[in-house]
Amino acid sequence: MDEKKILIIDDDPHLLMGLTARLKANGYRVVSATDAISAIAVALKETPDLVILDLGLPAGDGLLVLARIKGLAALAGTPVIVLSARDPSGSEKRALDAGAIAFFQKPPDNHEFLGAIRQALGETIALSSFLKT
Amino acid sequence: MNSDVPGRVDASEYCPPAIQSATFISSQGDESSSIELSPKLRADLLDLDAWGEILTTYSRSMRVAVALTDSQGRLLGECHNPQPVWKLVNGAAPVGGAGCPFCITTHLPCTAVVAALQGGEAVMVRDQAGLTHVAVPLLLGKQRLGAIIAGQVFDRYPEPLSMRRVAKESGVSAQQLWEVARRQVPISRTILLASGDLLCTLGQAFLLQRYGTIIEAELGRTNRRYRLLVDGVRDYALFTMDLDGRVTSWNGGAESMFGYVVAEIVGQNFSCIFTPEDIASHVPEKQLHQALQGGRAEDEGWRVRRNQQHFWANVNITPLLEDAGPDRGFAIIMQDVTERRRVAMVLEETRQERVRMQETFLSHVSHELRTPLTAIHFFMTNVLDGVTGDLTPQQHEHLSLALDNVKQLKDMVRDLLDITRVETLKLTVEPEQASAAKLVAEVLSTCRTNAALKNITLRSDVAPGLPFVWADPSRVRQIIINLIDNGIKFSPERGTLTVGIRRAEDVGFLRLWVSDAGCGISPGNREIIFDRLAQVRSSVEVSRSGLGLGLFISRELVSRQGGRIWVESKLGHGSTFYFTLPVFSLAKLCARVLTPQNLDGGSVSLITVDVAAIEGSDQANIVPKIRKILGGCIHSGQDVLLPAMSDVEPVRTFFIVACTDLSGFNAIAKRIGRGFQNFDSASTLEPVICSTTLVVGAGGSREEKIIEVTARIDQLIQAHLLNEERDSNG
Repeated sequence: MDEKKILIIDDDPHLLMGLTARLKANGYRVVSATDAISAIAVALKETPDLVILDLGLPAGDGLLVLARIKGLAALAGTPVIVLSARDPSGSEKRALDAGAIAFFQKPPDNHEFLGAIRQALGETIALSSFLKT
Repeated sequence: MNSDVPGRVDASEYCPPAIQSATFISSQGDESSSIELSPKLRADLLDLDAWGEILTTYSRSMRVAVALTDSQGRLLGECHNPQPVWKLVNGAAPVGGAGCPFCITTHLPCTAVVAALQGGEAVMVRDQAGLTHVAVPLLLGKQRLGAIIAGQVFDRYPEPLSMRRVAKESGVSAQQLWEVARRQVPISRTILLASGDLLCTLGQAFLLQRYGTIIEAELGRTNRRYRLLVDGVRDYALFTMDLDGRVTSWNGGAESMFGYVVAEIVGQNFSCIFTPEDIASHVPEKQLHQALQGGRAEDEGWRVRRNQQHFWANVNITPLLEDAGPDRGFAIIMQDVTERRRVAMVLEETRQERVRMQETFLSHVSHELRTPLTAIHFFMTNVLDGVTGDLTPQQHEHLSLALDNVKQLKDMVRDLLDITRVETLKLTVEPEQASAAKLVAEVLSTCRTNAALKNITLRSDVAPGLPFVWADPSRVRQIIINLIDNGIKFSPERGTLTVGIRRAEDVGFLRLWVSDAGCGISPGNREIIFDRLAQVRSSVEVSRSGLGLGLFISRELVSRQGGRIWVESKLGHGSTFYFTLPVFSLAKLCARVLTPQNLDGGSVSLITVDVAAIEGSDQANIVPKIRKILGGCIHSGQDVLLPAMSDVEPVRTFFIVACTDLSGFNAIAKRIGRGFQNFDSASTLEPVICSTTLVVGAGGSREEKIIEVTARIDQLIQAHLLNEERDSNG
């Protein structure tokens, strides 16, 4: 299966629409969830290769979602990029400490953001190939 | 000099009326003591009854006429006037001529009094009759109280009229009587002169004797007044203690502040007014010690009343060491500032609450603004990047401009939060080794579209071969963009804006500037523009305004990076904004390691950590994590983890300048190994750790040694990086 699957967890339908269009154009499959509770269910069902996570979510904070993902064996290895309107001072460190691989403040610089997504998906390959050797 | 005057009154000697001789006799004025005398005290010192005995005794033994005057020369009383030398009228002033108490025939004696009072010296005059008069000023310190005048008399000299009557009654001829009279000689002038000194001494002795008692009485009254003052003060506790801290006096204010009366507290140690915690940690003793050491001690803190109620006191302790003996100790002034403190705390809480609310509000607003901005951003970039299909060139141009405006909005939202952070001191700056030239080039390329809107040309004037700066790249970008945006805003259409970099006059800094040919800034506004929400009034009319926060935030950002910002401008001829950034220097960065002791002790090492496996992995995320691990393995505040020493990516080597020798290095290496293992349990990163001890030659100044060592570090690093490059290529 060549197409990587990305799960976007964000409650803003317009963001979902815009970002989904861009990611699809870049050759990814995209699934989405719009609140903290369904996010875990969707993640478990879809087992995405990458999660893009907003922090301010209905029915629970994004950091809780992040902790759940990292706490579930089936999802713990999935890289999570946080994309939040929150200020990086404070939130960035908390997100990284909780296991996110990157933090972007909305609106992100496209070049950096898409680059990080590419790298995150590439990194999983690189690390797994390291583990095999 | 034969001082004896012929015993005969020669008519020729009565004229002319002039001072025939004047001799100044030294007087012992005590220059050092000067005291302000009240009129009452002055009168007291010239009390004639007290002088009476002295002067009468003196005049009898000297056989002279003596009188006392006040400081105006007014006669205070006649002490001894055996012959009618003077026409002494009590209270009369020395006016000369008729009505003058001293002048029957001439005004010479009164001249002597006036001269003595004015000159402060004894004055002797000789009148037409050949009689000598000595006026001695009475001095108390520098004060002239009055004068004593002593006048020569002819002993038993017959008055001419009565002589005639006697001659008639006795049946002798006037000529015979005159012969008798001629044998009566006047008092020797020499004796009188010599006695001038005696008179002075007598006067001084008397005054000093009286001075002493009177001043003592005065002091007594002063002490009473002070006591009344001290006791009357109610808002302050004033008390004294001996050197051990036992209370020796206690005023009314202290009584009402603490609730102890004098009888209870005097003799007690003052620690009873402290809280039990302060007593346990020896605060009272420490304060006395501090007052003795420093000459005074000040404190604000809790104190305890007799009823165990606490209050917040402002305390001032002064040691009293002027006197030897039992009066040595401390004076304490204390004020109850509980209410003042409460008000100050409420004010501070209100201020903090306001800033907190402002921050909460702004961070909410910022969050809410960012959400729609993000949707706009994604839709626009999708369209621009052709995700939704091809665009006409014009559509592309218009959308690009729209996207630039989105970026501007994004910057404004960031400014809104920054401004609050300035107040809450949360504005963060993370300096690193950076190329200012590269930053300027990046900024210029992003600002070109905005400038093109007004047909403004952006020019770069960057000197070649500039050193790296030690600054936060994103913050420097923010500053330059602020300045360029300002320049564009105030520049005329088709103007030119120049961004430049040169070395600053201070070699430790680079100077960056943005100059425009706009309307300029008047001298009065050149400081104001850096203030918060400042926008020079007319500027609003010139162009659309931003938030007016740019320069304020820029100033904060520049000063937090160690530089300064200023503007030079000429009205109508444009402005140039300058700011400085510190040059990156290995020596400065490592200053805390490169101390003389460390250098001489051979305990400075360069540790290199090579992490081979970074290649291929997500280094953007791994490098910061590795730096974090390394940061945790070294002695923070002492050892220095160097920034990336080349712009070659991926970063694979990390350098540490540490204060350590070989055994210390082994410990650090072990810690680093463990740190990596915890982070990366699969051990894929495999750090290789080496150390080089840096040794400097003996001799040379500290600066020379530091230059030598940093050059060596630089050399080692470059060699290492070169090897690494060869390895990866080969």
